[in-house]
Amino acid sequence: MSFALVVDIFIDNWQMFLRGAGITLLVAIVGTIIGSIIGLVIGVIRTIPEPEKGIKRPLLKVVNMFVGAYIEVFRGTPMMVQAMVIYYGSAIALGIQMEILEAAFLVISINTGAYMAEIVRGGIISIDKGQYEAAEAIGMTHLQTMVNVVLPQAIRNILPATGNEFIINIKDSSVLSVIGLTELFYQSKSVSGANYKYFEVFLITSVIYLIMTISVTKILRYVERRMDGAENYDILGNQMQVETPKIVGQDQKDQ
Amino acid sequence: MRIIFIKSTKKGIMKLKRKLLLMIMATLLIATLAVGCGNTTDNGNNTNASDNPPVANGDNNQAPSEPKEVFRVGMEAGYAPFNWTQIGDANGAIKIDGSPEYAGGYDVEIAKRIAEGLGRELVIVKTDWDGLVPSLQANKIDAIIAGMSPTAKRKESIDFSDNYYKSDLVIVVKKGGKYDGATSLKDFNGSKVTAQLNTFHYTVIDQIEGVNKQSAMDSFPAMRVALEAGMIDGYVSERPEGVSAETANANFKLIEFAPADGFITEDEDTAIAVGLAKGSDLAGPINDALAGISLDEQKQIMDKAIENQPAAQ
Repeated sequence: MSFALVVDIFIDNWQMFLRGAGITLLVAIVGTIIGSIIGLVIGVIRTIPEPEKGIKRPLLKVVNMFVGAYIEVFRGTPMMVQAMVIYYGSAIALGIQMEILEAAFLVISINTGAYMAEIVRGGIISIDKGQYEAAEAIGMTHLQTMVNVVLPQAIRNILPATGNEFIINIKDSSVLSVIGLTELFYQSKSVSGANYKYFEVFLITSVIYLIMTISVTKILRYVERRMDGAENYDILGNQMQVETPKIVGQDQKDQ
Repeated sequence: MRIIFIKSTKKGIMKLKRKLLLMIMATLLIATLAVGCGNTTDNGNNTNASDNPPVANGDNNQAPSEPKEVFRVGMEAGYAPFNWTQIGDANGAIKIDGSPEYAGGYDVEIAKRIAEGLGRELVIVKTDWDGLVPSLQANKIDAIIAGMSPTAKRKESIDFSDNYYKSDLVIVVKKGGKYDGATSLKDFNGSKVTAQLNTFHYTVIDQIEGVNKQSAMDSFPAMRVALEAGMIDGYVSERPEGVSAETANANFKLIEFAPADGFITEDEDTAIAVGLAKGSDLAGPINDALAGISLDEQKQIMDKAIENQPAAQ
């Protein structure tokens, strides 16, 4: 093993590595976005307060039961097994022929969705009870409270956990090679299967994975900072209802 | 005032640097994604063409401009010299479906001859080893040509054609190691030996007396890494794979056995055949095509594949 050999392998096979990385990233991004949407919807459903009577009560119970089963099943089985069952099972048992990429999107999305549902639920219950009461006091419905008050704060709070999911997806999409998805890990297996240089090939692979995950981490941190806004801010006092409010504690001449 | 001024520009530059770094990272990610996506659209097109069902099945046949029926063959494309992945189309390699890469090797040459015999266009579908049989059952491929032996267990779920190759079992060990120079299975007493999961290579390990049988491994790459790292003393393989491993990596040594000293194998194990769906009507035509390839020719094709494989160059 020498450094020159590693460079040679990369120069000979860079297209394969890059294509694999592209597929990995594509599947991880689609999975995280769709998964987050699924998680958001389910998280909101699961936090609806139980109505005391009426048909809404049994209805909500049934929906919650299905949602609970979905989370248990997809959080409780490995993604590789899900891929096998969904991709081959749909063809053998139901006669549905799925494209490999479609199947990959589906598997990673519903798998992420199951995790995100719990993350979102955690984000929602972390919001102080007083805020619900305040929203109720000014006459907001549950949906209004969620959309206008709770979710904006919850989403900010679950962003680090979502970043976790994203990074896990980048790495775990490698198990989808079992259905023939030519992502980075499968491509690396192909390269090493042809040139028999395992350590060198997977060294390159690990560097590519690291570049992807570190970049995603940095970008998400940037998004978080943007969402937080400025650390210090000026209070706009406009108790006199003038047209151009002046900044409290600042001399008018400075402006 | 001056100090504050300098401080603030320094901070400004740092901020700029950070932003620049962030932008570079974002561009890199998008570029990688673009490559992947480019590949994806390619993927969609190609697979549509290949999905044009060879057996009238009534699913999505949207690409009517395909004059020739296709013959979809599944293989790992990572088991040289039987099949491997390469970048160009050198040495008669065939393009892999949904990917800009090419597949070459003994299996590909045989697949070409069969496709010719069937009068169909050959399409190589790259599939993981464990996905080969399910893919066949799910009608995602028409045949498995992947160095697969027609074992009785496999015959329960799929059919096989006549044999298109027959090889001997060998053990690959570390050169200069304790087992370099072994000539008989008895020499492997107490050694740590493994083989690929779901292959007969793994079951024959029990024939070695006093062997320390390790848990089966997922793939040949994994076993070669384990051998190089000294986690195992050797792995059971077939001659073509062993010869390639030895020529490609100077640390490996191939141990061959005389018939009396080696593994006792069934013919169905050492032979290799084309896997087909149960009751497939392709069996007859494929056997006809295979009958046209003599044993001498088989050996020639295999020698050429060993010579042409990427690691040998």
